[in-house]
Amino acid sequence: MERKQLAPGVCITTLDASKFNRCRITLHLRFPARRESATDAAVLALVLERGYAACPDMTALSRRLAELYGADLGVDLASAGTDRVLSADICGIKDAYALAGENLTDAYADIVFGTIFDPYLVDGAFDPEAVRIETETQARRLEAEFNSKRLYCVRQARRKFYGDAPAGIELGGYPGELVNVTPQSLKAEYDRILSTASIDVMVQGVDEARVAEMLLKKLDGIRRDPHPFAAPVAMPATPLRHFKEEIPGLTQAKLCMLFTTGEEHPNPPSVSILRVAMSVLGGSATSRLFRNVREKQSLCYYCGSAAQRATGVMMIDSGVEPGKEQQAEAAILAELEGLKNGPITQEEVDDCRRGLLSSMDALGDSLAALENWYYGQITRGEPLYPPEYGKVLTSAVTLDEVRQTLQSYSYSVCYAVTAEPGTQGKGGSEDVE
Amino acid sequence: MLNNDHESFAAAQACAAAAVSCESVVLPSGLTVLCRTMPGYSSVHAIYATGFGSIHRAFTLDGKQITLPAGTAHFLEHKMCETPKGDSFTFYAKTGASANAFTSYDRTCYLFSATQKIDENLDILLGMVGKPWFTKATIAKEQGIIGQEIKMYDDSPDWRLLNALFRCLYADHPLRDDIAGTVDSIAELTPQLLYSCTKAFYAPSNMVLSVAGRITLDQAVDACKRNGLYRARAPHEVEWDVPAQTGPLPHKEAFFTMPVTKPCFGVAYREEPLAEGDLKRELLLDMLGDLVVGGLTKLYRRLYDEALVNPEFSGDFIAVRGACAVAFTGESDTPRQVVELLQEEIERMRREGVDPEVFMLVKNQMYGELLGDVEAVDDAAEEAAAACLKGRTLADEIAALAELTVEDANALMRTALREENRAYVQIDPSEK
Repeated sequence: MERKQLAPGVCITTLDASKFNRCRITLHLRFPARRESATDAAVLALVLERGYAACPDMTALSRRLAELYGADLGVDLASAGTDRVLSADICGIKDAYALAGENLTDAYADIVFGTIFDPYLVDGAFDPEAVRIETETQARRLEAEFNSKRLYCVRQARRKFYGDAPAGIELGGYPGELVNVTPQSLKAEYDRILSTASIDVMVQGVDEARVAEMLLKKLDGIRRDPHPFAAPVAMPATPLRHFKEEIPGLTQAKLCMLFTTGEEHPNPPSVSILRVAMSVLGGSATSRLFRNVREKQSLCYYCGSAAQRATGVMMIDSGVEPGKEQQAEAAILAELEGLKNGPITQEEVDDCRRGLLSSMDALGDSLAALENWYYGQITRGEPLYPPEYGKVLTSAVTLDEVRQTLQSYSYSVCYAVTAEPGTQGKGGSEDVE
Repeated sequence: MLNNDHESFAAAQACAAAAVSCESVVLPSGLTVLCRTMPGYSSVHAIYATGFGSIHRAFTLDGKQITLPAGTAHFLEHKMCETPKGDSFTFYAKTGASANAFTSYDRTCYLFSATQKIDENLDILLGMVGKPWFTKATIAKEQGIIGQEIKMYDDSPDWRLLNALFRCLYADHPLRDDIAGTVDSIAELTPQLLYSCTKAFYAPSNMVLSVAGRITLDQAVDACKRNGLYRARAPHEVEWDVPAQTGPLPHKEAFFTMPVTKPCFGVAYREEPLAEGDLKRELLLDMLGDLVVGGLTKLYRRLYDEALVNPEFSGDFIAVRGACAVAFTGESDTPRQVVELLQEEIERMRREGVDPEVFMLVKNQMYGELLGDVEAVDDAAEEAAAACLKGRTLADEIAALAELTVEDANALMRTALREENRAYVQIDPSEK
């Protein structure tokens, strides 16, 4: 592994991929999220994925990727605290497996760099037809959120939790603002991203020198003002608020509970401590929530916890029998309380820790996992270290650190999506006789 | 390009076959052991699979007729993880392995991924599945957890749509029942029924152990020896079959409501079941969805650009004993219009033939996917096991794929996707 700075706010990281059949190039552009252009940013990712100047047609691009033995191109927008990360990645088989001796890796680089740096423009703005189509696509995606009740419940809880805070800016944008998206507004957002983003290119199994040269060439002529990464922020601790939404026809209720470290904890725990704490609470099959709430009490099929270091939030979500939401909530809180103030055994922490250590050992067996490992460190502003050192840090986490971390959270929002008794769905077996 | 008239085709195909190769041995017990040793990898993935899934609902065991309620194979999968000494997850926690299990229509798989204590993990896996233990009390407890799992899937429009399509296509075939069954059907289960299943379908001769990563075939075989899976044993007599369904579809259409934002719809075509070992037809059926409405086609582009369907609209196929179906599912404000366009395109392809360029590109994609599938230890072990349960290897699949021609696809189009074998299901939004 090697990371080099090519220019201010521009780095390239090379990872060994010699044992894999495939290679991969990923471009990450991290930039500050803005409420006023959140919807543009969401649509932009879709428009970029459709094609680029040298291959503007979506179907032609799909065919080009199929020619390259089904190379996989993705453009994605993700959250990193109050920042956003626009990523483009391409993954395909290595040249050695090309049946007619084609140079595949050069083609991969051309496509993924073209996608981000050479968009197809019409009169200096994005193609109006592409913008119209992808704005409609985004509208459908936002609408479809309701179809997955688990996802819907989590997002509704987040909306209540964050309100208008910067960390609550919607990743997918706002349905009511899609009408304001234009080729020009997208171009303005695109220019802002190129100007302010910290750019990291991750290269696996591809000639790094060629990629670095290509990157610098693409950036030549772009006025750059890379912004520093946003610092971690947490929502203030507030009195607990319960929300309940009834949806007739629902078969299983969903419960999402959100907790915050509060503003008085400006220095969040290390990611190693968080990983162990979440694994013990609800992130593994040996966790308290899995063993006790699911297995012993049969209260839910899924009941898991996750935490975000950059926003100080912890989430526990579960699927429960309608009418048993309060019972499930009480059982979950009892398990959390048990870890905060009751005994924690070294054995249960070690059981959870073993799983984490094993997963770190396995990181090097996946192109994507390895890339995520290192980019995760970059986004947290940490010096890069291999999974082996991650194991050392994880092994050093103590029971007290787990307890203190969990004690730092206060319960803030509980959102339940449920059905009134008598209005529950009857299930799939009765859809067709 | 994956073209069978290429000059260096044989060499290239050999290179590809080597890239997906794995060692195999059939033990005297009848158990097949597969191993893909992957130099440079740190982890090991092991999968222990039986050709027993949700469609196995009636069989004879040593001459005695056994009938199972819907969801038995899936229930058994859950119960297998429990032993008199505790839950297998507890044992895996001591080794750091990540373990799981899943059930499909025609198989049940138990698996783990680990980087340490591989022999111990293999012992947990093989011991757990090899020594079933069921009591009335543990069955009752599991009914609660699985009941919640069933309800979770009941809220999934995609899952409900697929199940409804199968119920339209088949009057009697067990494909029409949910893999997990229903809360009522799993309430019928008893320890005796579950033991009958393990005797019949968990015999070594009906199973495969597939391992990949930092492991050798000898290591896997030694684990089998330690767990009593090596020596020959007298198998139980088991007879099982599901006859193919003929005659008209039980339902041509079905409509119901769910809390969704816009109509979800699906069309499915009942096809002739695959003859055993007919890899060529299986691959062609697998390609059909991409040939008709995949991202490379003009039809997909039209549906996408005119916002007639969601971006995920696609075709897929399933083939199990006695049943075979091709289904297209998606969301649309105008589902009937989409179905008309789809059928028009199918008829046009029948008349004019499959676009040779699209055909070749889809072949190329499938070749890349096959190579990608064996890059990760979990995919490598699972794909090898899946191929083995179908009586073939991944190299066989690459070879068969290479041999396919557009004429083969045209021949399939002449008989497949017939309107008379088509069922339609629509889920409309319920009132909020």
